[in-house]
Amino acid sequence: MKTLFAPNAQPPRLLFTTMVAGQVALLLLVWLFYPMQLFPSLGEVFRSLGDLITTQGLIQELWASMTTALQALAIATVLALGISYLTALPFFRPIAYAASKMRYLTLTGLTFFMALMVSSGHQVKLSVLIFGATVYLVTGMTSVILTTTQEEMDHARTLGMGEWRSFWEVVVLGKLDEMLEVVRQNFAIIWTMITLVETLYQSEGGIGLLLYKQNRYLHLDGVLAIQLVILATGAAQDYVFVLLRRVFFPYSSLGTA
Amino acid sequence: MTTHTHAYKDPVLTLNGVSMSFNNELVLRDINAQILDITRPKMHQGQVVGFYGRSGIGKSVLCRIMAGLIPPSAGTVEVGLAQQPARPGMVGFVQQRYPLFDHRTLYDNLLVAAERKHAPEVARQHVESYLERFCLAPHHKKYPAHLSGGQRQRAAIAQQLLCSEHLILLDEPFSGLDVAMIDEVKRIIVEVTTMDELNTVIIVSHDIVTTTALADRLWLLGYEHDAAGALVPGATISPQHQYNLAEMGLAWHENVEAEPEFGQFVEHIKNEIRVSA
Ligand SMILES: Nc1ncnc2c1ncn2[C@@H]1O[C@H](COP(=O)(O)OP(=O)(O)O)[C@@H](O)[C@H]1O
Repeated sequence: MKTLFAPNAQPPRLLFTTMVAGQVALLLLVWLFYPMQLFPSLGEVFRSLGDLITTQGLIQELWASMTTALQALAIATVLALGISYLTALPFFRPIAYAASKMRYLTLTGLTFFMALMVSSGHQVKLSVLIFGATVYLVTGMTSVILTTTQEEMDHARTLGMGEWRSFWEVVVLGKLDEMLEVVRQNFAIIWTMITLVETLYQSEGGIGLLLYKQNRYLHLDGVLAIQLVILATGAAQDYVFVLLRRVFFPYSSLGTA
Repeated sequence: MTTHTHAYKDPVLTLNGVSMSFNNELVLRDINAQILDITRPKMHQGQVVGFYGRSGIGKSVLCRIMAGLIPPSAGTVEVGLAQQPARPGMVGFVQQRYPLFDHRTLYDNLLVAAERKHAPEVARQHVESYLERFCLAPHHKKYPAHLSGGQRQRAAIAQQLLCSEHLILLDEPFSGLDVAMIDEVKRIIVEVTTMDELNTVIIVSHDIVTTTALADRLWLLGYEHDAAGALVPGATISPQHQYNLAEMGLAWHENVEAEPEFGQFVEHIKNEIRVSA
């Protein structure tokens, strides 16, 4: 028991699991028996969740948003990897710098601009997400590349590897696991953006629009239900990334989930 | 004190008036040293030479120059029996913290090095024999993060040996190691010299006792004083700071550290260091 309150202690697994279960149960009990005035009760949230699934197609909307998010993430990852690796060449350094600074552009303006450029609603949504994710990924990825030390590069060079080969070995292959971690951390940003973009560009539907409607009609129970669904989806995705890392990069120490 | 008969043959590494400065700050000044291939009758053995310098004097810079990683501001480094200008990859260079590729298994770490020099099939055979030789065979599937300190050292040295031309440079191989680990590294160094008559291990270190015990030649990096007694900037190797331990009868002894002559010599060197470094 004492280990639970000692700094950096490693409590036994069973004890820790029990503790987590206890904390969750306590939270639910408080929610169940002490309903706050504004805050919807647990029962209301569940009822609303059922309602959203049966009448509003929550699952389909979630699926649509998720596939769009994954599609955007895949394209953004490839783009961002390309841009960050190119920073090895001085010629391309300004591009990566500019790209990472574009995090400060606001999505609303961007959506309008994209809507002028591409025709279909889906394309607008996708391109805004790709743009948004890319600039965040570039920021994270370039900082991973910057952790490369002289020692690491010299090590490759002393094995007779040329500059390109050394770069490939040390920066590309050697840091793929950290790149995956950057992607995992930034996936949450896509979820924030997708709900926003879907409210701005409503023709496509999606979970963001659903959330927006619940908000507008002050269906707090519905809002909470959707938020919980998004939270659960995010947690599941995080877990999948951890699994991927364990399978593809067994040498990598696991990041915090 | 026993002097073993030996003879010197061709040079394997030559430093010719090497100087290095960074932003007009002279770190190394006019360094001349030549490592010769040494032979001993009826012995199949390479050699160990040592460069001593106190911390911060420019040892790592000298290592990087000898490894061909940075060109000196002035002077030349010539490597191998053909005495070609040093390029990266010609001299095996084991850096202080024994780096390996963390994303490759031990086997792949060695294979990627061996393939720099050999065709895939031959490379594989070389790797197998090095794994045996360095007692690493049971660990060949492990990643570097799962190797013990000693295994990591052996692996890093083996990796460099697999793709270099008999010359291997160790930068501070003993720093931060406990006594047992230092003994382990000493054992590996001796092992490396017995693998091939041409193998030459260059130790660059501030550990005077351990380096002297292993080496048959020793160079001291230090500062010189000018006629007025002022310190001349830039570390160098004075003519009186080149020691031939083989001729002094201090090389290739099983337990040289216990001999009184060894103790006297180390004391002498320490005095020299106090004056010049
Ligand atoms: N790339 C560099 N640029 C500028 N100064 C350097 C560089 N590398 C080394 N130096 C300088 O050279 C000196 C010697 O450093 P170093 O070779 O690391 O010492 P040692 O290995 O003997 O402890 C230090 O004063 C350091 O500041």
